[in-house]
Amino acid sequence: MTFVRLGLWLLRRERASGEWRVLLLALVIGVGSVSTTGFLGDRIKRAMSEQGASFLGADLLVTSPRPIDTWPDHALQTSNALEFASMVSRGDAFQLGTLRAVDAVYPLRGEVRIADRPFEAGAPRPAQPPPGAVYVDQELLTLLNAAVGDSVQIGEATLRIAGVVVEEPGQLAGVFGFAPRVFMRADEVEATRVLQPGSRLTYLYQFAGEPEPLAAFGTTLKPQLETTQRMIGSRDGVETLRGAFANADHYLQLTALISLLLSVAAIAIAAHRHALRHYDQAALLRCMGATTAQLRTLYAVQLLTLGVLGSLAGVAVGALTQQALAGLILPEAVTRLPSLGTAPVGVAVISGLLALAGASLPALMRLIRVPPLRVLRRDLPPLPVAAWVSASISGSALLILIGWYAGDAKLVAIFVGALAALIGVLILLARLALVAGRGVQKISYGPVRFGLAQLLRHRFDSTLQLGAFTLALFLVALLALVRSDLIDGWRQQLPENAPNHFLVNIAPHQQAAVAAYLAEHRLEASEVYPMVRGRLVSKNGLPIADTLPPEARDTNTLRRELNLTWTTTLPANNVLLSGTWHGERSDPSAEISVESQMAERLNLALGDTLGFESGDQTITARITSIRSVKWESMQPNFFVIFSPGPLDALPASAIASVYVPPDATGVLPGFVKTFPGITILALDKLIANIEAVFAQIVAAIQLLLGFLLAAGMAVVVATLLASLDARQQEAVLLRTLGAQRAYLAKGLWSEFIALGVLAGLLASICAEIAMALIADRLFDLPVRLHPWLWLALPAAGALLVGASGWLTTRHITRVPPMQSIRALG
Amino acid sequence: MTPADSPQFPATAVSAHALSQTVPTADGTLTILSEVGLAVQAGETLAITGASGSGKSTLLGLLAGLDHASAGEIVLLGERLGGLDEDARARLRAGRVGFVFQSFQLLPALTALENILLPLELAGRADARERALHWLDRVGLAARAGHTPRQLSGGEQQRVALARAFATDPEIVFADEPTGNLDADTGARIIDLLFELNASARTTLILVTHDDALASRCQRRLHLVAGRAQEVEFA
Repeated sequence: MTFVRLGLWLLRRERASGEWRVLLLALVIGVGSVSTTGFLGDRIKRAMSEQGASFLGADLLVTSPRPIDTWPDHALQTSNALEFASMVSRGDAFQLGTLRAVDAVYPLRGEVRIADRPFEAGAPRPAQPPPGAVYVDQELLTLLNAAVGDSVQIGEATLRIAGVVVEEPGQLAGVFGFAPRVFMRADEVEATRVLQPGSRLTYLYQFAGEPEPLAAFGTTLKPQLETTQRMIGSRDGVETLRGAFANADHYLQLTALISLLLSVAAIAIAAHRHALRHYDQAALLRCMGATTAQLRTLYAVQLLTLGVLGSLAGVAVGALTQQALAGLILPEAVTRLPSLGTAPVGVAVISGLLALAGASLPALMRLIRVPPLRVLRRDLPPLPVAAWVSASISGSALLILIGWYAGDAKLVAIFVGALAALIGVLILLARLALVAGRGVQKISYGPVRFGLAQLLRHRFDSTLQLGAFTLALFLVALLALVRSDLIDGWRQQLPENAPNHFLVNIAPHQQAAVAAYLAEHRLEASEVYPMVRGRLVSKNGLPIADTLPPEARDTNTLRRELNLTWTTTLPANNVLLSGTWHGERSDPSAEISVESQMAERLNLALGDTLGFESGDQTITARITSIRSVKWESMQPNFFVIFSPGPLDALPASAIASVYVPPDATGVLPGFVKTFPGITILALDKLIANIEAVFAQIVAAIQLLLGFLLAAGMAVVVATLLASLDARQQEAVLLRTLGAQRAYLAKGLWSEFIALGVLAGLLASICAEIAMALIADRLFDLPVRLHPWLWLALPAAGALLVGASGWLTTRHITRVPPMQSIRALG
Repeated sequence: MTPADSPQFPATAVSAHALSQTVPTADGTLTILSEVGLAVQAGETLAITGASGSGKSTLLGLLAGLDHASAGEIVLLGERLGGLDEDARARLRAGRVGFVFQSFQLLPALTALENILLPLELAGRADARERALHWLDRVGLAARAGHTPRQLSGGEQQRVALARAFATDPEIVFADEPTGNLDADTGARIIDLLFELNASARTTLILVTHDDALASRCQRRLHLVAGRAQEVEFA
């Protein structure tokens, strides 16, 4: 028999042994958590690349806030569309819609499915509706209480609903979108009269053709585009959206990594116990003539088999979990994608094997170094393995894992540093808690005293269990708090009558009428701010990018057009930090006030002259004040405020915010009828949407935290199993001396409940501190305590640790002493 | 062909010359064996006796190649152990040396039959299973083939261990206090079985015991006093 077969044979015979089970379980948990995130990430990536061209609706898409008239010569297919937001109303009901005015050939790639009735599958059709008609989202029908065949009002035009949009290219983009889609004819936009100078428009130019001419066209076009214009190829078309998921994906990956590392701890403990219990076996095999190499083969085969089995089971768990997660955080367009990719399987299996190797190789190395003489002298320990060998095996395996998941070196350093600090703090806290436990033990009696004594005696084990479980509970609590606290806290920060609607695209000639309408209906409105779109291009005569270090150039402030306004009074929620407010001054050289964070980011100071481009005009202005802005005030807020005058000649629209009390929503339909071109953004709906997305991501992370809790329990079980023989000996002794089973059982319960309660308390402390830091430093919210946490976490800890501890050790109170004595030899 | 590979037993199964074993301790060097010399012919039986701590088990371990001697020379089955490393000594033992231990040393996860199979499989015997069944029958436990050590009594466990020791047709069997964990009656039956198996297989047997009755059944006896040998020959 080869030693490969012998290894498998012995493994099969020992499959019921406790340490294999814990090792496998820990591995399944660790691999399960990393494969869940792996599958999820892969699915998103595949969804994005598979949809490729059909996602964009073209092979190449150029977006621009202004029409582009001149193009490089080409022989590609083209299609033009215009996208803008506008109110869509029917009777008293109204809703903001995302309108896309399309030509007859839209889309060039992919398809638009239109149904005649809601909830039908529909059929591919051109996106351009018949004259006088629109296609709308199912959602819009519900919101407007309309049916196919009804008419809706868009601006001054009345259009008939001719069908329901079931699917369209780029539907993924709708994940975080909040205004339902409306398709209309490009040639009917004029009639609606909703487009004003200064309206926010996106021109979509689509191109399709053979790869080579397409690439040539792209290369020629690229340098001609302005920074506000974007060219998106079918490959990179999904980059923007990917960014939205990237953060969530990163958090998920790191959470998974923590579960994996906790599993590594459990595996290491289980492997150590396995090695301890197999010294005799290894010595016997050596005695019978097995060489070191043969023993190495034997145990390596066992380890590899367990590694592959555990990893595959973990992958299966991951595949199931990601299905649940996908339902939670991904839009249907992605979850509909049928098959799972195989790439994450490899990654997860390799992670599992790495974790297993790092955790158990040092123990197994000792196992094969057992002297054969141990068969005669059972006290002989195996030859020691140099500490640096063990440390470098485990350390490099862990570093590879962390490096792999964290991505870049900086994040690895942060993660390792934070982990080391956290472990240090946890060990310190656990030790302090155990010292406190000694005090409690002194004043307790009976089995409780016995249980606490056990906890204190196994100090190393207790510290480890306490640390692992505290970490798991802490992370779960932190996430729950971040979700509820930040949203609640932010909401509580809002003044009672904070504006809940924005009025956008108010034409200059409408400003007075709008103000009068709002006053007539006693609605509290902000000032009406005129808005001009312009891009910051220069500072003191130099291109702005040249004045910044390379790493600071990549900022949204420079890429996009800013909303520029002018006013004579400092807005209510702004505070002047330096300089003097320009007020009514109407200096021939324009003055501007800049928001403080923008000034810091772009290295701007009082006295600097900034140049802005708006359309074909350039305006320069000197910074005369810097102010802070309370962005969460729900008022119109601006980075740059001009003194009156310089922007007068530019096309402007205006913006205002208004508080509509819940009982006065009836005012809005009247407003829409009176001012059809003005867009109303319902902020509470927007907030609810953001919250919903946030909640989905948090729910996904929480599901992963389930793995983390399970990994924490695996550590508890593994450490308990490792001390099981010693505990059994103690139990036998105590029972022989007359202790009753109930006494021992109560002792065990006391020990584990104490452990769980302590872990819960420590986790509460950590969570409160972390929350205080997050609220104070990151979100500028008042620090508050969470009394329920101090009850919930210890209770959860007592339940989880108590149950896993009792299940692991209960049989030692049941076995008759004589049987235990025989079993222990 | 070396003597070790020969199907014929070498004339001397194991011999030791000026064998010493010392271990360093906190109080200086402790001498466990001092200048021990012996030669055991093929097919002979030898008892190593002495009080607790006299070095019996240490001598057994050295003779079987389980440990390195501090000084002196051992030749086991024609090979000088001093020139062999740990793995080479393991290869020498494979299939040619059998062991019986005081604490039986059966693997708890394996059945009686599988425990006997283990050395046969290690030695790569093609007829491993038949041989294991045959030896289980020889020790009277054919009906207990599927039982694990925990389901067997001490005497039954030692009988399985005897079958395991003889199953590979070893040239020499080392036994360390084979009755040490058994009551007198069971012990006596085990000894009968051990000598019966040994006689029929014509194996060299070296056993460690402090039981005079058991020692007297061997052809020769080596008595150790504080690590020094005083050989007592029997007729």
